[in-house]
Amino acid sequence: MISRVADHCFWVGRYLDRAESTARLLRVTRSLAFDAEMPTQAVWRPVVTVSGQFEDFVERFGDRAAGNGDAVQRYMTWAPENPVSIRTSIWGAREGARSIREVLSLDIWQATNELYLWFVSEEAQKTYQLDRDEIYRQIRRQTQLSLGLVRSTMLHDTPMDILWLGVLLERIGQTARILDMHHYLIPDDSGKHQQAGLVAGSQQIVQTALWLSLLRTCSGFEAFMRVHKGRVTGSDAVEFLLFEERFPRSLRYCVRSAVGLMRRIWPEHLAAIGGAPLARLAALDGWLGEQQKDLLPTSIHDLLTHVVDEVALVCSEARHAMSGATAALPVVEDAEGTPEPVATQEQTQ
Amino acid sequence: MVLEAEPSLLWKGYSALPGAYDELIDATGVPRPHARVATEMLQGLTPEHFQRCQSLAELSLVQQGVTFSVYSDQRGTEKVMPVCLVPRVMGATEWTGVERGLVQRLTALELFLDDVYGDQRTMREGVVPGEMVDKSKSFVPRLRGIKPAGGVRIHIAGVDLIRDPAGTLRVLEDNLRTPSGVSYVLENRQVTKRVFQNAMESGGVRRVDDYPSQLAEALRSVSPIDPDESTVVVLTPGPFNSAYFEHSFLARSMGLELVEASDLVVDGDDVFVRTTMGPRRVHVIYRRTDDAYIDPEFFRPDSLLGVPGLMRAWAKGRVALANAPGNGVADDKAIYPFVPDLIRFFLKEEPILEQVPTFVCARRDDRMYVVEHLDELVVKAVDEAGGYGMLMGPQATIAEREKFRGLVLAEPRKYIAQHRVELSTCPTWVPEHRRLEPRRVDLRPFVLASRTSQLPGAVPDRWVLPGGLTRVALREGSYVVNSSQGGGSKDTWVQFANGSAA
Repeated sequence: MISRVADHCFWVGRYLDRAESTARLLRVTRSLAFDAEMPTQAVWRPVVTVSGQFEDFVERFGDRAAGNGDAVQRYMTWAPENPVSIRTSIWGAREGARSIREVLSLDIWQATNELYLWFVSEEAQKTYQLDRDEIYRQIRRQTQLSLGLVRSTMLHDTPMDILWLGVLLERIGQTARILDMHHYLIPDDSGKHQQAGLVAGSQQIVQTALWLSLLRTCSGFEAFMRVHKGRVTGSDAVEFLLFEERFPRSLRYCVRSAVGLMRRIWPEHLAAIGGAPLARLAALDGWLGEQQKDLLPTSIHDLLTHVVDEVALVCSEARHAMSGATAALPVVEDAEGTPEPVATQEQTQ
Repeated sequence: MVLEAEPSLLWKGYSALPGAYDELIDATGVPRPHARVATEMLQGLTPEHFQRCQSLAELSLVQQGVTFSVYSDQRGTEKVMPVCLVPRVMGATEWTGVERGLVQRLTALELFLDDVYGDQRTMREGVVPGEMVDKSKSFVPRLRGIKPAGGVRIHIAGVDLIRDPAGTLRVLEDNLRTPSGVSYVLENRQVTKRVFQNAMESGGVRRVDDYPSQLAEALRSVSPIDPDESTVVVLTPGPFNSAYFEHSFLARSMGLELVEASDLVVDGDDVFVRTTMGPRRVHVIYRRTDDAYIDPEFFRPDSLLGVPGLMRAWAKGRVALANAPGNGVADDKAIYPFVPDLIRFFLKEEPILEQVPTFVCARRDDRMYVVEHLDELVVKAVDEAGGYGMLMGPQATIAEREKFRGLVLAEPRKYIAQHRVELSTCPTWVPEHRRLEPRRVDLRPFVLASRTSQLPGAVPDRWVLPGGLTRVALREGSYVVNSSQGGGSKDTWVQFANGSAA
């Protein structure tokens, strides 16, 4: 597979999932701003923080604007200068798809092209003005349509594996950031507020609302309720999103699946090419398993930071491997084509 | 069958343009025999129905992204080439002549290219004035002595044909570099097949959808190694190129990798594509990039575009490039007037296809005639294409003609002139008038060449796609069919020799 094409596949996956996660985050933060009876400053600020764009935002709009829901939403939805805005993500997904149309299915290209054409239309602008929740819902539906078509219409082969690897690695990062943002908002066990401005008297209500919003952000509300029979506690919600192996957006599930995909992309006889990111991600999987045994609330932030850092390294190592730079295969005249599997290769999965 | 006195509204008031040949209807308003398959089908349709079909066709093109980019827009705006569902029909007998004529012409041009980059007999013996070759922008003297891998130079040709008022087809232009438009031929057929399925089944229209497999075979045939073991790629300048859709379309339909220059690297004398598994050798490149952007080491040291070393690999015969670099000299407008003589010189045959009588401004007598008759002539700059750099004398202002008089006298070699040919017309849907009206058309058939034998001097085998791109000038009275200047396209139906598909 051509390296540039592989890189585009990876980024189409990441951009689609990023557009979806961002729409999800904005939609839930809006409802949180109504339900949690918190100062808006406290609700919107972390959205900018977890996006990694806080400095850029403050430089452009000033510190106060970070607490202004409209300013934050405009920046996160439309700003072309924001590298993680929904617009940038949809544009990136569509341009990437356009560059690799010959490896995608026509359905995927059409869905992604239509998503882009709709998003830049006046109709979308109008929807944004009149019905904010609806536009976020539409973005999610349409990105999910593209992602669903990836799995249901594309050849299940290396290009799809790489695209989906992009989706999962992006999702791990997004889930970790969203968790961190909530952790940042929620009072720790000693009752001290990490974030100034929380209304102390309604702390319990605030907490519950925050946990519910967290679960909703990750589409985990129903799944969580089924597992925990309707009882919402902070530690259960966090553990669910970190470790629940049956829930497809939990960190553990995504890390595991990504490890599986990488084993298919770089099976044992190609360990020389993709061994490094695979080993790193497999180690992260094991490490998460260890953490599950005795997780202290105070160490959640450190855990999430570690996950985000490691996943960033996995991404850059994977892209390096896909570029062919790590390939040490001898170039033999006319022996190209499918590489011979090593005879003694064992089943590892 | 005469169109009845009370024709259906779609045809209401349709009559051929005076002084022009109509592709479907003769001067008395009767459908030409071979065109009945189309006219009878349209007879039964109301304007409402037809408009609905048109809208469906256009919508499906937008959604599939069958678009070309417009250079003038920095952000790479994409447009759909308008399509008119009324087909252009070619009879079987005439088509056989076209096929033979194209093969003859391209065989001669292929031999001419071998000669220009070889012995240059044609120039020594005065078949073509040496100056016309030497001063051509597209002539690359450094390529002399190089024999391309596979022995083919014109793998893919698109020859523009027009029809004069007497009904004679004439070659207007040979495109031997990177002719485009074949994707529209295939996409237009998809659309008409859906809309007019019954007519196409009964009318014995020859299929065009095997073009991609024919092209893939032709490309493999010129590989320096065993064709079945070869890696063939399509090289595109990238998504912002105006024909990017076609590059992607062809790669997809041939099952080949679409690559950009940065994906290729030359090591030693071999070309490799960077893959996730490391470099893999490439044997044949269907390149849709201009000569100037193939290899910065060879053509444009100032350019960062291209694959450094690619020309070295090609010169050593380690990779085949389709089409071969340097082909532009043979489709230069300055060479065009001499093609009939080239056919006689190389093949000892009379040309089968006519072309447009042409004044060569480098010749003194021709030049004098041209500057005196600018109001009757079309003057073309030899190094321009796509309808740019030309004077349409009969429609031009006095100031424009004066400007061209100066240009022609200053640099005569750069200009040729022809009498304007009254291009034939084809009934075309005009949405504003909700009816069919005559609009001018041309035709670009596509011709592929494969290597037939390993023997030196073997003549490539040529295959003509039974169909081609019919371009139509959508604006009333216009002669310009280029998609960049308001042209659209039509499906081209070529009929089976026996009139049926069986």
